[in-house]
Amino acid sequence: MESIRGRLTLWYATALILSIAVFAVVLYFARRSATYQDLDRRIQSEADLTAGILAESYRARGTLVEKDTSGRPFLTAEVAAVLEVVPDYLLVTSRDGRLLFASPDARALTFGEFEQLITITQPPTGAGSHTTGRYRVAPNGPTLHYIVRAVPDAGDQFGAIFAGANTRSAELQLEQLVLTILVAFFVGVVPAILVGGWLAGRAMEPVDRMITEVREITDGRSLHRRLAMPMARDELARLAETVNQMMTRLERSFAALRRFTADASHELKTPLTVVRAGVERAITRPGMPQEALAPLEETLQQVNRMTELLDSLLTLARADEGRAELHREPVDMREIVEEAGETGELLAEHAGVGIEIRLPAEPLVLAVDRSRIRQLALNLIENAVKYTPRGGQVSVELAGNDGRVVFTVADTGIGIAPGDLPHVFDRFWRADSARTRTSERAGTGLGLAICKWIAEAHGGTIEVQSRPGRGTTFTVGLPRTETSSH
Amino acid sequence: MKILVIEDDKTVGEYVRRGLDEAGYHVDLVGDGDEGLRRASGKGSSYDMMVLDLRLPRLSGIEVLRTLRDRGVGLPVLVLTAQDSVDFKVQALRMGADDYVTKPFAFEELLARVEALGRRPKAIAPPTLKVNGLVLDTGSREVTRDGKRIELTPKEYAVLEYLMRHQGRVMSRTLITEYAWDYHFDPGTNIVDVVITRLRKKIDQAKEPKLIHTVRGVGYVVRT
Repeated sequence: MESIRGRLTLWYATALILSIAVFAVVLYFARRSATYQDLDRRIQSEADLTAGILAESYRARGTLVEKDTSGRPFLTAEVAAVLEVVPDYLLVTSRDGRLLFASPDARALTFGEFEQLITITQPPTGAGSHTTGRYRVAPNGPTLHYIVRAVPDAGDQFGAIFAGANTRSAELQLEQLVLTILVAFFVGVVPAILVGGWLAGRAMEPVDRMITEVREITDGRSLHRRLAMPMARDELARLAETVNQMMTRLERSFAALRRFTADASHELKTPLTVVRAGVERAITRPGMPQEALAPLEETLQQVNRMTELLDSLLTLARADEGRAELHREPVDMREIVEEAGETGELLAEHAGVGIEIRLPAEPLVLAVDRSRIRQLALNLIENAVKYTPRGGQVSVELAGNDGRVVFTVADTGIGIAPGDLPHVFDRFWRADSARTRTSERAGTGLGLAICKWIAEAHGGTIEVQSRPGRGTTFTVGLPRTETSSH
Repeated sequence: MKILVIEDDKTVGEYVRRGLDEAGYHVDLVGDGDEGLRRASGKGSSYDMMVLDLRLPRLSGIEVLRTLRDRGVGLPVLVLTAQDSVDFKVQALRMGADDYVTKPFAFEELLARVEALGRRPKAIAPPTLKVNGLVLDTGSREVTRDGKRIELTPKEYAVLEYLMRHQGRVMSRTLITEYAWDYHFDPGTNIVDVVITRLRKKIDQAKEPKLIHTVRGVGYVVRT
């Protein structure tokens, strides 16, 4: 689950379903035990009633068992008529185990089933005691809850009374209950989960709003803005307050950085200007001895390198703040690449590397910062030559298609290890093992970071593809739509 | 042509003053904004241009500039600034500056801008530079030796022009690189050497006297 809202809903639904399920199970078993107790009470009272009737009739009339012509015993008709009204399954046997009476339900059974019932109807051993049980009449027949009891107060004519009730009605009741629970479950739980999800969403809504607001503020340009404080003093209000405090500190540190950038510009560049001024004056003074000139030239070179590094750092610091400054003007990209290309040819000649520069026939006019794009082109070409061994080849191409201008610098140089590729645009990145080996001097390590900034500040992209030992290709894509807006 | 330089840093100020002086300008150097403003807008002020540092003690460069323009003084102003951010430069230009140079600057760059502002490049840089039989026409960008035309690429031309402009003086590789390429372009390899090799082929090969000379460890000089 990706959102708190989803997780909340899930937890809520799980808890709801679990508690309802526990409730349903408890309800079912309680109901079941009550139902079967009822059933047991019913057969108990039926058996007791029968025993009472027999005892009563015995006191009034003496013998209650007659014999038919074939010598089979049966219950006197008057008593049988009374017992006829007792519901369910009722059997009365004689002392020697012969059937004296069967209720209408019992008589409806098949002969075999009937015989089985009679074998169960054995008088219990202890006088006045009874046995109970459950008996399935036939594989598909009714299941009976039954009780068998003796008939102590009716002389010695009777053996046992069997009273049994079909469990079907109890089962039906329970099935009904299960059905009701299921219906209630779906009718109740599904809407409850939907409502729960909606509530969770509502609770999270201010958080979503806050996310949007914070995102707008932290784009670097509107750090002075603050989150609106909710009315209630709840957790969200405290969060908003904390975020606001954090933003105040961020704003302060950004302001400090801006101040530092400006101060650093001045404080570091003024001494550099002084050094430069002195060196330049000395170096251009006629008649300076040559031994003095060489260290001066070395100093001048280092001053320039420091200036370059300082400029790169300040440029990137400003870019971080989102204050990308470009001085755009319409420029024919071919001019820039041609000029950088000539420098590339000179570098390539020195390095013994072949170079090919392909330009389109038509002008490619874009609104760009001329000096920045020049820096980008020079950087990429210089890098390509630097990391290509003698005898290699560098290809520079400028092409315009529908919406984009694509500038490509490809070399057959030493390449970049796959593990290093994601880092080539990082600041101060250098693959120490391979890339510095052939270079005559280490660069500032900011060149490609600057290139990336330049491409992106123009709304473009910069990509690199490389295979160690095979070469590297840098591709810069610049959007063409800018021309019309400037 | 009189130039007023307002710069509180003595070394930089002196460097600008002497450099412009050598280039044939008459230069006055003052160390703070009040004094500069008094001199530039006072009665009988005869300056043709002002070079103004933006960070000055007491009265800042921006304030000097604003006061100057408020008083209706239309003197061309070249601003020196350590701030290379675009918005800062835009601010200076809005306040009435005519151009700016970012610190640290090569003197050549300052001079080029002063020349452009003073609209008198001819007096400072003659259109045709000559060394022995080698002639470079800065107007048409044509180069000939002993009357024979020599074709040069833009970078070759730039390097040769720089050396000929300062003929007889040793110009270091760094200075040449700065002039012919972007000020901050530092290719590490000695690209100047490559250009010089090419120039020698085109200019000095099979010709006497040799005009381009190497100063080991430093740079090059053009002289007979």
